[in-house]
Amino acid sequence: MNILTLRFAFLLLPAVMLLNSQLAIASQDSVLDRIHAADQPFDNMQIESAHQLPVKTVLAKESYQGGTFRVLARKDAISRYRCSVCHTKKTPQARDGALLTHGDITINHGEGKNELACIECHDRQDRDFLVDMQGVKIDFDHSYQLCGQCHFRPKRDWLGGAHGKRVTYWAGERVVMNCTSCHDPHSPAFKTKMPETYSLPLDE
Amino acid sequence: MDHGKKKNAPLKKAGPLENKCTRRSFLKGVSIAAAAGSAGLVTGGCGSVASSEEAKLKWDEFFKKNYRLMTQEEKDATVARLEKLAKLRYGLDVQVSNQEPLDNVLYGYAFNITRCKGYMDCVEACVQENNLDRQSKTQYIRIFEMDSGQLDPTSGDGKYFHEVPVEDKFYMGVQCFHCENAPCIKACPTKATWQEPDGIVVVDYDWCIGCRYCMAACPYWGRRFNWGDPVVPKEEINTKQHYLGNRMRWKGVMEKCTFCVQRTRQGKLPACVDACPTGSRVFGNLLDPDSEIRFVLKNKKVFRFKEELNTDPKFWYFMD
Ligand code: HEC
Ligand code: HEC
Ligand code: HEC
Ligand code: HEC
Repeated sequence: MNILTLRFAFLLLPAVMLLNSQLAIASQDSVLDRIHAADQPFDNMQIESAHQLPVKTVLAKESYQGGTFRVLARKDAISRYRCSVCHTKKTPQARDGALLTHGDITINHGEGKNELACIECHDRQDRDFLVDMQGVKIDFDHSYQLCGQCHFRPKRDWLGGAHGKRVTYWAGERVVMNCTSCHDPHSPAFKTKMPETYSLPLDE
Repeated sequence: MDHGKKKNAPLKKAGPLENKCTRRSFLKGVSIAAAAGSAGLVTGGCGSVASSEEAKLKWDEFFKKNYRLMTQEEKDATVARLEKLAKLRYGLDVQVSNQEPLDNVLYGYAFNITRCKGYMDCVEACVQENNLDRQSKTQYIRIFEMDSGQLDPTSGDGKYFHEVPVEDKFYMGVQCFHCENAPCIKACPTKATWQEPDGIVVVDYDWCIGCRYCMAACPYWGRRFNWGDPVVPKEEINTKQHYLGNRMRWKGVMEKCTFCVQRTRQGKLPACVDACPTGSRVFGNLLDPDSEIRFVLKNKKVFRFKEELNTDPKFWYFMD
């Protein structure tokens, strides 16, 4: 006797019959019905395997769904931080100093007369901070506050989760990337590059 | 790729039971003819002469039940056998989880077609995470390069390989949509594929007979068939596995995206979502009104692909 028939007769058939009877009681609700019916917040903290991330984060100065969330800290990623190492009260006004020290920074953010100047974002007096339009200092870890002044929609989507991204977990405490985790503030558009891999034709 | 030739071969030939090579090595281990061609072989391929321990493990694997009918003890036992077999075959310490679905969780996915740049980091991450066959270049995710105004991936190019993004094109990712009303499940004659309570459509590789009816039934190209034994370099094997997910498959079985069940049930994002550098992929609990996926469904313009087929996918596309 064929081994396939053997296996089917003894193992598969009874299983299929049993499963069929189980399936008969499966729910017929559509996904949208189920979504509309679900109005109780889920306790995301109950999932213990969603560990704390091994990276530095800060509590955002904004709220998410009425609660708190965290953002990836940035200061450690900024090679020239602290800026006040050079930018003291009496900075030596070296000729071409900016070019020598920040020559790698070119602004490609806003066009023509809208092109942003350094001091629209960086505090003139205290270079260790960014600055908003009212002259209020913004910590580098909270640069989303700076960007959000001019980019209202991306900021709103970022707060809700439709722009930017969460880090590692869908459960546990919400941790998202900062705007500058993805965008270079000086030249924020994404670059063109070769894809990571390619695909072969599908066999149908 | 020589799929054409194999496609015309009798169906049975492709099945795991006809795997001559493993059958022979298996027979050397156990002299019981009825057990020939253990479909329970985890590791696939043609190994050396099986040790008697290995043979015993394979014997037990062959006669196990469909996963859904197993008791917790039986599930633990098969998982332990699979880990042992991986150790014997590869010398690898594999962890095969049988973690159950979380209560009050229904997974959903949203893809931002205005934001994706076609970089394909997601595809590569998926291949690595899920131990996909490197030989035939199996990929669960497909990214189509599309002309603006088009919304049907069949009109796009799924095989592009040039600098991306190309101006005036946009990119659309397609993978298993984990339909609530899944045609693939209905097509399966052995009930080897089903939907878990958390909404993930899974395959019991040990019960799949390789008939490929599910593949034909899926309107979204969501399923992948193993025409040969999958090849994954030992050092690249992801040892964190799930019984219903990325454990090693073999020739003749169907596989597909499982929303990375081995990750998601731990609270992690699927590998594709985690790897995406643009944030085009949003994933979360549809039953949580405060989740990000619910924010997207409520606040963005969303649509589902081939909604008219009533497959009820848990995968939405959205734009800004
Ligand atoms: C190695 C020393 C050094 C460090 C560190 C440094 N700067 Fe500077 N920076 C300079 C010098 C020199 C100039 C030119 C003199 C000036 O305008 O003060 C300059 C100029 C600038 C300017 C004005 C450029 C212009 O064209 O007017 C900005 C803005 C600036 N720096 C920001 C920063 C910020 C923000 C940091 C920290 C993240 C930083 N710098 C760290 C040395 C430094
Ligand atoms: C759109 C606002 C904006 C403008 C305009 C801007 N910066 Fe910045 N800059 C930032 C932010 C935000 C950061 C921190 C980036 C991060 O989080 O990695 C930064 C970082 C820096 C750094 C530290 C970079 C590093 O990795 O060490 C320097 C230096 C700097 N800016 C100089 C300048 C200079 C000089 C100009 C003008 C030519 C300028 N910036 C214009 C927002 C701006
Ligand atoms: C003072 C206002 C202002 C601030 C602050 C600002 N931007 Fe912009 N940004 C603009 C303008 C103006 C443009 C160009 C016009 C447009 O596309 O809306 C722009 C364009 C952009 C673009 C589109 C770039 C492109 O070429 O496609 C991105 C991305 C962006 N900004 C990100 C940021 C980020 C991230 C920050 C915070 C670090 C930031 N912006 C802060 C004014 C600002
Ligand atoms: C996960 C990465 C990521 C994060 C985090 C992120 N963005 Fe973006 N953003 C993108 C991508 C990708 C695009 C599309 C870029 C392009 O076309 O060059 C984009 C586009 C933009 C644009 C251009 C206009 C548009 O909507 O296409 C602006 C402005 C912008 N982002 C601002 C922000 C601000 C402000 C934040 C923080 C509150 C932020 N982004 C956080 C990835 C990100």
